[in-house]
Amino acid sequence: MIRGGQNYVSSPPAFSNDGNRVLVCTGNTVSIFSSSTGLQVSSLEGHTAPVTSVFVVPATDILCYCWTSSFDGTVRYWDFSVPEMVKKLDLGMPIFSMVIPSFLGSSEENNAKTANVFAYVSVHDGKAWQIRKCSLTNYQNVGKLVLKETERLEPLIISPSGKFFGIKDKRKLHIWKLPRVESDLAVAKKITLHHTKTITVLAFHPTERTVAAGDVTGRILIWRGFGTQKFLDHSGSNNRISMNDGEDKNGVRQNDDAESCSAWHWHSAGVCLLSFSPDGAYLYSGGKEGVLVLWQLDSGKKKFLPRIGSPLLYFIESPDPSLSLISCADNQIHMLKTPSMEIIKSISGIKPPLSYQEICESFSGKAAFDCTSGLVAVQTENYGIQFYSLFANRGVYEVQVCERNHQPVDEVTVAVTLVELSVDGSIMGTVEIKLPEEGVGGLVSLKFWDLDSDTKRFSVSTVIYEPHRDAHISAIAFHPTRRMAVSSSYGGDFKIWVCKEGDIQQKGQALQNSGWMCHAVGSYKNKAMRAATFSADGSVLAVAADTVITLWDPDKNVLMAVVGETPTPIVSLAFAGKSEYLLSVSHGLKPQLSVWSMSKLTMAWSYRLQIEAVSSAIDSSYFAILALLPGSNERAFKGNGIILLFNATDPIPVASMSVTKAKGGGLAFLKGDLSERAVIDGKTSQTLLVYINGDREYVIFDPYDKEGHKLSIIRQDVALEETGQFGYSSIYGELPKFDLQKDKAASVMSTASERPWETIFTGSTHMLPPLTKLCSVFLESLLEKRAALAE
Amino acid sequence: MAEPLHSSQPKTFPVKPKLKPKPRTQNQTPESKYWSSFKNTQIQNLISVPSLTFSPSSPHPFAAAHSATVSIYKPQNDPLDSPTTTITSFKDVVSSLSFRSDGRLLAAGDLSGLVQVFDVGGGSAAARSALRRLRSHVRPVRFVHYPKLQRLRVISAGDDALVKVWDVAAGDSPVMELRGHRDYVRCGDSSPVNADTFITGSYDHTVKLWDVRVGDSKPAIEVNHGNPVEDVVFLPAGGMVATAGGNSVKFWDLISGGKLVCSMEGHNKTVTSLCVGRIGSGSDEELNQFRVLSVGLDGYMKVFDYSSMKVTHSMRFPAPLLSVAYSPDCKTRVIGTSNGIIYVGKRKIKEEEIEGRVSEKSLFWRIRPLEHTEKKVFRPSHFRYFQRGQGEKPSEGDYLIMRPKKEKLREHDKLLKNFRHGEALVSVLEGKNPGNVLAVMEELVSRKKLMVCVSNLDAEKLKLLLVFLRKYCTVPRYSGLLMGLARKVLEMRVDEIRGSEALRAHIRNLKRSIEEEIKIQQSLQEIQGIISPLLKIAGRR
Repeated sequence: MIRGGQNYVSSPPAFSNDGNRVLVCTGNTVSIFSSSTGLQVSSLEGHTAPVTSVFVVPATDILCYCWTSSFDGTVRYWDFSVPEMVKKLDLGMPIFSMVIPSFLGSSEENNAKTANVFAYVSVHDGKAWQIRKCSLTNYQNVGKLVLKETERLEPLIISPSGKFFGIKDKRKLHIWKLPRVESDLAVAKKITLHHTKTITVLAFHPTERTVAAGDVTGRILIWRGFGTQKFLDHSGSNNRISMNDGEDKNGVRQNDDAESCSAWHWHSAGVCLLSFSPDGAYLYSGGKEGVLVLWQLDSGKKKFLPRIGSPLLYFIESPDPSLSLISCADNQIHMLKTPSMEIIKSISGIKPPLSYQEICESFSGKAAFDCTSGLVAVQTENYGIQFYSLFANRGVYEVQVCERNHQPVDEVTVAVTLVELSVDGSIMGTVEIKLPEEGVGGLVSLKFWDLDSDTKRFSVSTVIYEPHRDAHISAIAFHPTRRMAVSSSYGGDFKIWVCKEGDIQQKGQALQNSGWMCHAVGSYKNKAMRAATFSADGSVLAVAADTVITLWDPDKNVLMAVVGETPTPIVSLAFAGKSEYLLSVSHGLKPQLSVWSMSKLTMAWSYRLQIEAVSSAIDSSYFAILALLPGSNERAFKGNGIILLFNATDPIPVASMSVTKAKGGGLAFLKGDLSERAVIDGKTSQTLLVYINGDREYVIFDPYDKEGHKLSIIRQDVALEETGQFGYSSIYGELPKFDLQKDKAASVMSTASERPWETIFTGSTHMLPPLTKLCSVFLESLLEKRAALAE
Repeated sequence: MAEPLHSSQPKTFPVKPKLKPKPRTQNQTPESKYWSSFKNTQIQNLISVPSLTFSPSSPHPFAAAHSATVSIYKPQNDPLDSPTTTITSFKDVVSSLSFRSDGRLLAAGDLSGLVQVFDVGGGSAAARSALRRLRSHVRPVRFVHYPKLQRLRVISAGDDALVKVWDVAAGDSPVMELRGHRDYVRCGDSSPVNADTFITGSYDHTVKLWDVRVGDSKPAIEVNHGNPVEDVVFLPAGGMVATAGGNSVKFWDLISGGKLVCSMEGHNKTVTSLCVGRIGSGSDEELNQFRVLSVGLDGYMKVFDYSSMKVTHSMRFPAPLLSVAYSPDCKTRVIGTSNGIIYVGKRKIKEEEIEGRVSEKSLFWRIRPLEHTEKKVFRPSHFRYFQRGQGEKPSEGDYLIMRPKKEKLREHDKLLKNFRHGEALVSVLEGKNPGNVLAVMEELVSRKKLMVCVSNLDAEKLKLLLVFLRKYCTVPRYSGLLMGLARKVLEMRVDEIRGSEALRAHIRNLKRSIEEEIKIQQSLQEIQGIISPLLKIAGRR
């Protein structure tokens, strides 16, 4: 079983101490990426629920230890260079967030504290989220003391100096100052800062007592000198209070404990990330509109990195001052070269499903699979198609379908509604729609793409505007062997498109002229056509016309037969591999999966199931369905969906697997030469089934395998890593290495004299190289001498 | 993947008009490009033009016969409306013209049977009266010709079925009278290689090759075209002739005794005239390719490549065509029509072609420009010292750091980039390209700003929009958006339109064009109603 497609941006990532590794929480594991190549190196596996935070213990470059917390209620301590778990603490309560202040701060304090390491955790005790303290060095139990209860999940934010940590709670900020000497009973002092809007994010200044917070309206508030009264327990504090009472406290609300509060406003939507630069001179902020703003803290001057294209979530500085990373909501982690503000590398996860599902009736968020090369093509929010390698678990490339820039705050007016790949993966069809404004200017366009054989990238070959007039396209299907496609529309007709093959073979000018053109148009009683498919040999085209299936000869465009009737409109059709059976899926009040025999033109058998996806194996009569279970069954099946594997001749399923998040999921059989990629217990598997769920996490498994053998991937790309230069060497290049031994050897050689054997054999015996080596040197020196004499 | 996936970052997408479907077949072969590179101008207000001929000598003026007048035009003049010389001393309609090989004399025959010779080399005054009046034909003369290699003789023929050869210097009576045709003789041509042979074509379907040296009224070769012969022309090599008659043009090999080589049946009505055209720069004979240009009453001019036996270009004119001529320098092509318009096609000779000729001619005189052998050494006293090296060209091994190319954005793109939607719409409406307007409108729709823009247009700009709508809202490619938009505009701006007379006029025009379109659609539907049962029946079989 191969899992992949995890969310990389569920919680903030972390850099290793040397800046070469990025630790990313990916579901139940922590994946470690190389920051120079952006490829995954290893992963920390062990947690049984999603990992919520990862904290790298600051130390010298060599030590690679980290703490992780998870919803499974454990805190674990890892050596991630190996990688292996060192220690495991069971808190017994789901942990959402954990900060460990003890490791931060200046070094002399550190020494004193390392004896006893405390962590502050946000845990759930069954009723509410509580912030508690626990000792990590000699752990017995979670501290009884509850610092604060919140209703929602709120991440703990710690100041880089390790003196404060804080939390946002609706319109308030709570900030605690850590006690000077940590113990189980020491209580942190707390202040609260108020604001009129809901606060979304906060950040602490690295050195000063300054905290910045962003709110939902896009404002950034900066409180300077917070906690002057409460945290600084000087004797003269009373005087200061009286002074402060007299003067106006520069925008600080109510009786909040801060010296001044200023507000900056640039973001038009809510602020999602705030981060101070390590020297405290700059503040990074980012929001829903996908623009990273760099504020100069003193003057308020701004610099921008625009058009990142997705809401920004986290900004992490690496120990190397020239490198930092941004996590984006579209599951991408971008490496940023800091001074020039440019993106140099991306860790690309599978893009999340589109947020606007209900844009129109033709919209389908379904992914398309390239079965031979193991790629999945998914629609992205920025009007493109992302190709994601299922076996390598990384994004391969993206194709921009609509030539538009995507702004996350914009209203959705353009969408890629459909993507389909041909069986051999060489042709892609996409449908995009433009929504009309008050009934004016809507447009549907169909695009055909060809795979460039050299670069393995798709490029557009033909654009067809309004292929079915103003009706939306419901499905595209490709001929299994020829360059032929069919598109069906809700307007009640389908069109067969062909690409002239003769043109392709010729070089030069003719290639320019190749393109897809309409070969035939068909309709059946003007009924809306919602699905179309070709049979495995391509001789029959099946098109679903409302509740019946029409069978056509694709070449002559002749209606051959009309099959049966289902109670509700058919939304999906598939031939069961090479067999004579055709599957139809209908949704609605009476959902149904029907299997039709093509030889008898009657229904063979049917199930009353809500089917989400159907896939048939190409070379056998097996097919798999993904069925949504009704709500009452969820408990029994441990999930809301079930995958059933059938042989088309037999209504009894061959195998079944229960899955979660089945809504919006997809299924596909992968085939082809997988020997290099996937191995099951030493023997290669011929057929694999991939299931991708509604959140676009996927799992690849062998459906015929009863015992659930482990499917492991042999990764080839781990060795590809190159060592990047950073710090001094990135600016000035590598220093020449001193090799003391080499120097010595050179000096020995240089003293070759009239009698080389004397110098070669001088020295104490334990310094001498082995005799076999000396012998050749000795002989060489003799030869040289002769040559010199001859001259 | 290792390389940055984030390619969308600094990209701007300028709005682009929708793509047009590419024609499946390439209609622009280099040859048809050549023939359509002749830019047409018209000479109007004449009466039907039965004959056109170019002077063989530079600058190749051409003479046109129309009614009882002959006009001589210089194609270099611009505009072409007024002739350089007009000859009016005819009593009847002029039927045929021919220049002498040096271009100084022009022979013309008219329907009264008179053949006249004019001096056209000496300006318009000299040409007023004829040098010679050759009267012998009793019926209308249809064909007059100066042989290409003969300066002294003129050939003429006419409705009396006689072919006469005149000695112009001797005057009044013909040297020779050739009887052989049994019907009107309409056309003829002289051999380009032999001064003594010529051909004539007649309505008795035959084309006859005559040899003046024999002179016994017996043609050397005779071929039967099968239709009344309207025109006949020698091909440049002199071994072949092309004859036009009926709807076909036929090619005959004279050397093998009059064998039919091929026949071109491209025209739908009678082919009236032929001439030999040439593709090529003119100076290099080997590159020249000869074509036969034929025009017919169906209004088509066709270019026939007789070596590959293909029609390589075809062009339609809105009138029956009577005559065609092609200038020897390949710059001009003239076509005369029956309704009195001469279509003059002029081609611009490319720079390099002209240059090539010039350089050849002046090669002898060319002097190489002086070269600065010493490099000037700048001193710090000179201000250019401080700019030295800025214009330095990179040498081969240099690593170049290019300045990133700035994408050129058009006015409306710039405005759209700055979210000045209204101004963008106006700026593109002021432009000429309707495709761009549509692209901007679509972009505004996807920004949900079109309606706001329309409602904010002031009266002047609204007029602009209405003019645009009237022009293009019935064009099928644009109507999907524009029809809806027109309705919205009327709904939203009804008050302003009521208030202004100018706007109301535009609305009336808009209404008219839409009514027209509706009518067209109705008639199309009627046709569809007629056709679809037929198709059904055809489909059943």
